Amino acid sequence: MSAPSYVPKNAENGIQILEAGLARGVVEFCRFARARGLSSSTKEILACLQALKAINHLHFDTFKFVLRTVLCSSKEEWTLFDTLFAEFWQNAEPKRGSHSKKSGSNQATLRPGRMEESRFQTLADDNSQPSRPAEDQGKGISGASAAERLRKIDFAQVPQSDLAELERLSRRLLQRLSCRISRRLQPRKWRGIVDLRKTIRMNLGRGGDPIELSFKKQKRHRAKLVILLDVSDSMNPYSLFLFKFVYVLRRHFREVTSFIFSTNLVSVNEVLRAQHLAGALKILSRMTTGWSGGTRIGGSLEDFNRLYAGKLLSPNTALIILSDGWDTGGPEVLVTELQKIKRRISKLIWLNPLLGLEEYEPVTRGMSAALPYIDVFAPAHNLEGLLELERHLMVA
Amino acid sequence: MSQTTSPNIVREIVDIDALTEGFAPLGYVMDRALATAVYLLVQLRRPLLIEGHAGVGKTELAKALASFLKAELIRLQCYEGLDVNSAVYEWNYQKQLLAIKIQESSDKTVEEKEKHVFGSDFLLKRPLLQSILSEEAPVLLVDEIDRADEAFEALLLELLSEFQISIPELGTVKAKQVPYVILTSNNSRELSDALKRRCLYHWIDYPSLEKEMEIVRTRIPSINADLSSHVVRFIQSIRQLNLAKTPGVSETLDLSNALLLLEKADLDEATAEETLGCILKSAGDVEKIRAEGISKLLAKSVG
Repeated sequence: MSAPSYVPKNAENGIQILEAGLARGVVEFCRFARARGLSSSTKEILACLQALKAINHLHFDTFKFVLRTVLCSSKEEWTLFDTLFAEFWQNAEPKRGSHSKKSGSNQATLRPGRMEESRFQTLADDNSQPSRPAEDQGKGISGASAAERLRKIDFAQVPQSDLAELERLSRRLLQRLSCRISRRLQPRKWRGIVDLRKTIRMNLGRGGDPIELSFKKQKRHRAKLVILLDVSDSMNPYSLFLFKFVYVLRRHFREVTSFIFSTNLVSVNEVLRAQHLAGALKILSRMTTGWSGGTRIGGSLEDFNRLYAGKLLSPNTALIILSDGWDTGGPEVLVTELQKIKRRISKLIWLNPLLGLEEYEPVTRGMSAALPYIDVFAPAHNLEGLLELERHLMVA
Repeated sequence: MSQTTSPNIVREIVDIDALTEGFAPLGYVMDRALATAVYLLVQLRRPLLIEGHAGVGKTELAKALASFLKAELIRLQCYEGLDVNSAVYEWNYQKQLLAIKIQESSDKTVEEKEKHVFGSDFLLKRPLLQSILSEEAPVLLVDEIDRADEAFEALLLELLSEFQISIPELGTVKAKQVPYVILTSNNSRELSDALKRRCLYHWIDYPSLEKEMEIVRTRIPSINADLSSHVVRFIQSIRQLNLAKTPGVSETLDLSNALLLLEKADLDEATAEETLGCILKSAGDVEKIRAEGISKLLAKSVG
């Protein structure tokens, strides 16, 4: 595999047709690059070869520029390319056999994460009683003051006796919240601007006189939601409530994609599709989710960016991270990944349960590093905080 | 992909060096990497996506290419909400209404009338349609594509992959000549993967000291060497600071031109202070530079 010898470094004896050896070198390099995260599909390899063919006198430099121009499509890839290129063509024997290096390391961090099935079960049973939405309106809570108190109570400090009450209240309020959000995101209906094109078409039969007017109006753009919920150990007092919150949001928005993460990222979209919350919790309890595990926020976001960001994030997406910001990984990873996310979306919302504590300040390394990239940083320790989400989404 | 490459152009650009040499008299200084990218764009007719900070000559490149190829430059400035009607085509409604009135007494059927008023006489060609209908391949500059929304990106994708546009009333319009397409982006947001995959890519960074001096020399031949080197060094040291709007090459040229106009032979502190508006475009940045000390920056740029 003495790949570098395929490329003539001498400009004088430039190649006229693409030598088989050179082609092989290109293919080898592309495979090498692909293993290290630079997208280089067969189609791109062919494009490289085609591009090389178009050049009469091939210098080594030009060779590099051609490959870079064809293979890269962003600043990050551009930088990565230079490193990879140097590594591959200058080391006689580039490292091989590490094709799945990245996925391998993920595998290693995956832990079995047993769920406390019984705990979920209790909460699930709690909710499985049929709810009576009509009667709930007035009867559900005992009085205004009780409701007021429950709205402000920290999820972590709910006494056992209040739990059921809080559940009911939250279900009702969150449901109402999601209705409100979805209604408000619709633009007001008005007659709009006359659509000349359609009007003329429609009135051709009447000699072109615009008798019936046709209107156009602004296209409805409903913000999409992507939710990342931290279910690590430090979030224990909150994660279940927040999971329910996510469930309610999911039921009432059309485009919500949700993930939970601790040491690794797990998509819970399928879970949330369950008819009842009880069912969702039951499914969740059977999954390997790393619930109450360690925290790797940066790493989880990295996974998210690599696997889902391209498909899920667009300028009209709001991304919500529900986490306390305790990260065992370095803040550098978190910052890089948040930066990447921020470039794709318009609104990054971070809801932090700890923000409800009087003395809390976001000084954990991860949290303080993340702050510059966050548009909305708000508490999520009680119902009131969660209901605020409506306001944050509205400003988007 | 190069089905319609016209032979005279292939003859004109023999290799990459010919491009670099050809661009120099046009006032565009191009390094070999960029020349390679442009060469591939011309030879393969694949769109070239150029990213880079503001003011490093992305748009200039398209202009230079057009005058180098003696081709027409068709420019489409992107903005949010850019739609088919302003990017591709629009019907001339007034003319259509008039035509319908005129035909009122004719015994043509409605279908015939419809066919008439939706004929090419009534079509207003917007930049994208114009670019594929030209007899000679033009240079199509899609400027600041990152400002347009995704819907437009999708529209562009269709054009760039097939070089044809479908107009419901007329049918599919195929490109007579495949245009040379240059897309520029300020890298303010991520473009869709599909669009990126369709394009060649080049990142233009801020130029090195030598290259920037060469650019100033080429663009403003009348400037004396000392002054230009002073200006370039000054700007390069400003670029080291973490500003909101880092000055690009166009700011270097602006400052040089301003100094020429003011007949300043040297860039001293007072002059630099007076002309700060040429290079800094935000109050915060001006504050920052003052805090840093203009004299200090100037001193650095002499050595």
